[in-house]
Amino acid sequence: MSQRASTSLFSLRRILIIAQSTVTQLVRMKVFYFLAPIALLFVGIQFFDLIWYQGAETLQPEQELRMHKNICLGTMMVFSSMFGIVATALLIPGDIEDRTLYTILCKPVPRLDYLVGKLLGVMAVIFIAMVVMDVLLVATLHFRTEEKLAEATQYMKKIGYPEEDLAAGRAEIAAHGPTLILQYGVLAHFLKASVIAAVALLISTFSTSTIFTIATSAMVWIIGSFQSVAREGLFTDPFSGGDPNLAERIVSTFVSLIFPDFKLFESIADGAVRAEDVLHTDMAQLGGFAALYIGIYVVLSWFVFSDKEF
Amino acid sequence: MRRFKTIRNLIVIAAVLAGTGYLRLPREQKFTEDLRERKIAHPQIESEIWSEMGQTSLAGAFGGLRSVMASFMSVGAYDHFENNDWYELEKDYEVITALDPYNSFYWDTGGWHLGWNAASWAKRNQDFSPAKRQLFEMEYLEKGDAFYRQGLKYNPDSEKLWYEMGAMWSNEFKRPDLKRAAEAFKMIRYSRNPVYRRRYLFTITRIPGMEEAAYDEMMRLMSDGPLHFSVPKFRVLALILGSNPNLADGVLRPRLNQVFQSKEVAYRDLYNYRARIKYDGYYAGNIDQLMKQLIDDLNVPDSLNPFITEPKRPLYPRAWREALSKRDADATIN
Repeated sequence: MSQRASTSLFSLRRILIIAQSTVTQLVRMKVFYFLAPIALLFVGIQFFDLIWYQGAETLQPEQELRMHKNICLGTMMVFSSMFGIVATALLIPGDIEDRTLYTILCKPVPRLDYLVGKLLGVMAVIFIAMVVMDVLLVATLHFRTEEKLAEATQYMKKIGYPEEDLAAGRAEIAAHGPTLILQYGVLAHFLKASVIAAVALLISTFSTSTIFTIATSAMVWIIGSFQSVAREGLFTDPFSGGDPNLAERIVSTFVSLIFPDFKLFESIADGAVRAEDVLHTDMAQLGGFAALYIGIYVVLSWFVFSDKEF
Repeated sequence: MRRFKTIRNLIVIAAVLAGTGYLRLPREQKFTEDLRERKIAHPQIESEIWSEMGQTSLAGAFGGLRSVMASFMSVGAYDHFENNDWYELEKDYEVITALDPYNSFYWDTGGWHLGWNAASWAKRNQDFSPAKRQLFEMEYLEKGDAFYRQGLKYNPDSEKLWYEMGAMWSNEFKRPDLKRAAEAFKMIRYSRNPVYRRRYLFTITRIPGMEEAAYDEMMRLMSDGPLHFSVPKFRVLALILGSNPNLADGVLRPRLNQVFQSKEVAYRDLYNYRARIKYDGYYAGNIDQLMKQLIDDLNVPDSLNPFITEPKRPLYPRAWREALSKRDADATIN
């Protein structure tokens, strides 16, 4: 009893230990061995001039670089989101199946620590995988940018660009290379995957089947991508442009209140691909939203999980 | 008991999500509007476009892969171009540009397919009557123009779109509308790209009544330094626009020896320009007078004298050298 009383509700050390073991558990999963090499391969093969780099896009260096970034960031997004869902959905049932959960919960480990540790483990694996993919993206993009810069410089000299305009033209192309703004795009996808993982964690606390968790989380992922359509639909009907009717208002309100807005993350990533001026304050706001979503889902997961009987 | 717990949990989850959702909703909306205003976030896809989207692009749009889907659709739409399936191509580009409207490349490519390729196809299609050919050609030119203009609404800084629109309306193999071309080229006359900077001048010299504006434009471009003097047409315009008798007294009128390195170069450039006056309607000024003077000074052979022999092809340096060698050889024999 005294030992129980001395157990703090939240211990960073405990959480990190659970997260560490979760990382080990995840990298041993078949799903990781299946998804990660495909994603890495897809990013890695951008070293070559594939079919999508042989069209009219090659006439505009910025366009070719944009295509490169689009494909790589798209791959990273799909991988991270899918992995976030599948890995998280498999964690709690996996722990029950191999009875690890009983070993952990019979010790003075609060359930909140267990859930946060599990989520952090998933996020850590996603982060590591994204760092590896990011290194590949930066390397492949660097080579392509240098190649395009050389070609464009030659062309601009040929048609008589003055020296200062040539430098400005080069800077425009270089802005589509590996920059800090591009890293904001990668970070936005990581945050999105983390939120999706938190959603999956919440669903897995009350779900009785892994398939249900995966399917429902995937639905949330998709609905979250057009939550902003529903939200704006509260004010105008997105399909007719006029005032929404009662049914549309009810559906829009339900979707906007319940589901997270993944469009925010996608917009930042898209802006980063287009080399728009994504500011660090935007990232701070996005991080704030991600933290809010994750916080809400973790607290709700804890609420459901706290009196769950095994 | 278990069922009660499940229902209770679901109610609590829904209540908490709705409560926090109510609080975060205005902030999300504000952030979205801010991102959209700064063109970081895409605008909402319009209602007509939803119905035109296939399953793949819908999934892409909802899965957060709008730009990626646009890239792949653009590659795929090339098949419609190869098959002359212009209706499908137009529909595809409507979806592509809705998916990624801030990418001027798609507007440029869509406009090019409609205004250039489809219009040329209609013009040359022998299955149509001449009236139908003309009607379809005009229709596709207008569609191309509309596509470029729509693209410029989303990408007002895209010089390429203005350039392509101007090039479409000034192309002599289509149905030139030089006023519309000039309107487009005027927007890029301060571009960094020297090719874009010159096009407004080259277009208005083809419009009767705009000779004085062309002179002013030429003087503006001359202030760029020697940059444009590498272009033969610019050298000729620098010379002949100044010959306009309607210009005010005392304005700068560049002379032949100030513009050209030699009389031979001047003759070649004027010869080629003169041919384009007839076909493309360029400003003539005092070109005949200048050429006659040069013909006398250089003792130009009759084969290269446009007043005697109708020019059949542009006069390149090699043809010039060969003609002069022949003239000298004939003179030696005689």
